[in-house]
Amino acid sequence: MSAHDKRKAKCQPAAGRFFTSLIRDIREGDIWVKLSLLVCGTGYFARKQYVKGTIITLLQAALMIFIPTMLWPYMSKIGTLGTVQRELVYNPVTRKNETNDFDNSFKILLFGIIGFIVVITAVVLYIKNIRSVRRLQVRAENHKHIDTFREGCSQLFNKRFHFTLLSMPVLGVVVLVIVPLIVLFCVGFTNYDRNHLVPTHLFTWVGLENFQSLFSQQLTDTFSYSFRVVLTWTLTWAFFATVSTFFLGIFLAMFINNRKTYLKRMWRTFFVVAIAVPQFISLLLIRNFFADTGIVNTICRDVGITQFFKNIGWIAPGLDYIPFLSNPQWAKATIICINIWVGAPYIMLITTGILLNIPQELIESAQVDGANGFKIFTHIKMPYILFTTGPFLIMQFIGNLNNFNIIYLLTQEVYVTQNQALAASNAKEVDLLITWLYRLTQEHSNYKMASVIGILVFIMTAACALLAFNRIIRGNREENFQ
Amino acid sequence: MKLFRITARHAVLTFFSAVWLVPIVWMLVTSFSVDNGPNIRSFFPQGWTLDQYAALLFGSSVVAHFPQWFMNTLTIATFNCIISSMFVLMVAYSMSCMRFRMRKPMMNIALIVNLFPGFLSMIAVYFIMKSIGMTNSNIGMIIVYSGGSGLGYLIAKGFFDTIPRSLLEAARIEGATEAKIFLRIVLPLSKPIIVYTIIGAFLVPWMDFLFANIMLNSGLSEKKTVAIGLYSMVSRDNRNTYFGQFCAGGVLVSIPISILFVIMQKFYIQGITDGAIKG
Repeated sequence: MSAHDKRKAKCQPAAGRFFTSLIRDIREGDIWVKLSLLVCGTGYFARKQYVKGTIITLLQAALMIFIPTMLWPYMSKIGTLGTVQRELVYNPVTRKNETNDFDNSFKILLFGIIGFIVVITAVVLYIKNIRSVRRLQVRAENHKHIDTFREGCSQLFNKRFHFTLLSMPVLGVVVLVIVPLIVLFCVGFTNYDRNHLVPTHLFTWVGLENFQSLFSQQLTDTFSYSFRVVLTWTLTWAFFATVSTFFLGIFLAMFINNRKTYLKRMWRTFFVVAIAVPQFISLLLIRNFFADTGIVNTICRDVGITQFFKNIGWIAPGLDYIPFLSNPQWAKATIICINIWVGAPYIMLITTGILLNIPQELIESAQVDGANGFKIFTHIKMPYILFTTGPFLIMQFIGNLNNFNIIYLLTQEVYVTQNQALAASNAKEVDLLITWLYRLTQEHSNYKMASVIGILVFIMTAACALLAFNRIIRGNREENFQ
Repeated sequence: MKLFRITARHAVLTFFSAVWLVPIVWMLVTSFSVDNGPNIRSFFPQGWTLDQYAALLFGSSVVAHFPQWFMNTLTIATFNCIISSMFVLMVAYSMSCMRFRMRKPMMNIALIVNLFPGFLSMIAVYFIMKSIGMTNSNIGMIIVYSGGSGLGYLIAKGFFDTIPRSLLEAARIEGATEAKIFLRIVLPLSKPIIVYTIIGAFLVPWMDFLFANIMLNSGLSEKKTVAIGLYSMVSRDNRNTYFGQFCAGGVLVSIPISILFVIMQKFYIQGITDGAIKG
């Protein structure tokens, strides 16, 4: 390559450079490289790599049969998501009514997306194949060693070991996480809901309509109102849940680790036992514990607490129980308190480690300067904990935004909303976005709105995570370790 | 005065411990109760019996199939434990100890995908599994739990990062293949994090409520896992007949699970502190 060419190549964008070098590979390649454009394995046959050549040719043949016959029928319809609705048609041959050859919109969407991923992968492999065949030719011309099949395989356990290690996990993630996420993302731009359920009905693309109904006030549907209510509560909840568990957890950790406390291990075990019981069991227990006709209410009535709350007007006059989980305000307060029960021991465990790591000189020098216990806490321990747990706190906040278990297990079948506007869009006052989205799909088949909410949840979490990772990345010393 | 402060300190701790243990104790005593429904008259049961355990383990009813649930969950947990742990350790090793071109992009993609709430993809996975007839089966649940588990590689990677690079370099110079380094050097040095990963993977099906509830929706009680099986016992219709059995089941499940959980916590902390020393 001349100096002029080099300069030209540098000015080109990366993609352009990639294609010019690809075209050069093909132009300068010998007859076998050019034949590889048609039958991908030929280049390997020419260098006596028969097994590899056969495998690659078979793979090519499989893809060339598989894509047009199995995937193309779905891919071609992805623009409309199907046009033929299922119906019974009289078949003159069998003289019976039979279902016609109907389109299934969801399958079209799913296999269409899979199809496009397969096609893109195939094109990438095809290009990579040409380049590797060309490299092989250059090696042969320079009389360098060309790996036999056996050597190639043993490379899979050495230099290319990552390929062996990663292939299955990556395949799993693509099929079970990434493809479903893309499908669900796309559903947000369709009208897939109760009135368009597959296979009996078709659904189709509607553009940004669902997002509009979430953000603009409309007379007939209350989604925008519900969204605001639920979003407000989600953010409030995440804030209070994170802060309350954090401070109580630190308090417990400091209290237990104080040198004046005896039997440290025993106290710690008590709290760990509480979180070691699977959450669905402890939360379902607590829900019955605090039920309107539950044991706590019996005790409160006997002791006179219920009467006291009634006197100060916290309970509606008609009730003779405390509506722990059935009144909006009470339920919200109860849920936050129960969350402390669930979350504080975790924070206690984590901060115990951090507290033990505080440099002792810091505390001693402060004591020499005459600081009392409280001052040491506010000026040394607290800043130290906040500094080391900052990113963790944000992750905790994200976790709480999506804290499905506690809300769902405590309020499902227990809490019934009285607010008609919320009920119309299947929301409750105590719903988080994530539980609302769950019930929209599982109970009301409203997939389009669920998908839209899911996208918004992602944007919200991603924004918070950016905050956290910025700090982690800045403090990332991954390479320094090595 | 000093004595008073120490007593006060321990009184506060006793109070907090009591608050944290009350629901657990309530479960324990209710599981021995003669009442089938939740006891709403007093904290302790009116009479003591083992009937709830007997009914749960040997009785037959449409709702409760506890032994079957237990076996289902055990099967799913065992296979998930094997597959997930392998996936996690394999990904962690590639990302930590090897250098290849797609490493950073793949880690970034994993980071972004991890931000999506897990069950968002589960809704679409449900349809995929349904189209190949895998819902309501143990195999389907194993696939669901273990398939995407490679994404949870970060903790193990963090541990592998602290293994001194000089060790790996020395092995490479001696001519060890990457596979040998992984199996003979890195894995034996990583016991705490391996135990943590294995126990963590084993616990997933016992603790998970959400995915199982989406996937096992046939209403057939025999197909359920422990989590949604026990959940069905305290639904509005069943609560008054099965609450005692729910508590008994809760106790039976909680004992092994909490022991494993405590061990896991210990190894997790050990893994982190060991790593710090090595680094």
